[in-house]
Amino acid sequence: MNAFLIAATILLATLAPLLVVAHVRRPIDGLVALETAGAVTTLVLLCLSVGMDESIFFTVAIVAAVASWIGGLVFVRFLGRWI
Amino acid sequence: MAVDVLLGLGVAAELLCVAGVIVMRTALDRLHYAGAATGVPALFVLAAVLVHEHLSSGGLEAIAAVALLFLLNPALLIATARAIRRTEEPESDL
Repeated sequence: MNAFLIAATILLATLAPLLVVAHVRRPIDGLVALETAGAVTTLVLLCLSVGMDESIFFTVAIVAAVASWIGGLVFVRFLGRWI
Repeated sequence: MAVDVLLGLGVAAELLCVAGVIVMRTALDRLHYAGAATGVPALFVLAAVLVHEHLSSGGLEAIAAVALLFLLNPALLIATARAIRRTEEPESDL
């Protein structure tokens, strides 16, 4: 297990408390946790791609960065309108 | 060795940002830490990847991923801050 896989594991573990925040707190607080989780997920995929020597994961990281941004904007739009 | 140091700094900074998102009381305080999560920690991880991969196709894709995070996230943060203000001050015309 190299340093990149250890880093990916630690970063992956940080998603659990963010999930708890998103579940327990107000929806707008959960949205902030979701945005943070998107950034963490992108970094996890970068670390996994280097650690596992799978270059395809780099593309997945790019897709994850864009998808989490678009998802965040959609949630902001709906939460801003309905809360 | 340099890769380990850069990765350690990146992970530590990211943990600090996640801790801030969890611990802070108000949504705007959390948002500050959420914004920081795409700044310095992502750049440390990118530096570690570049030291390991150099400017190969993987390294260039890593630059693209972190650049997207770094450049797109402020727009999302501003939109979120406006939504937070709207929920906490309904009369606000933002």
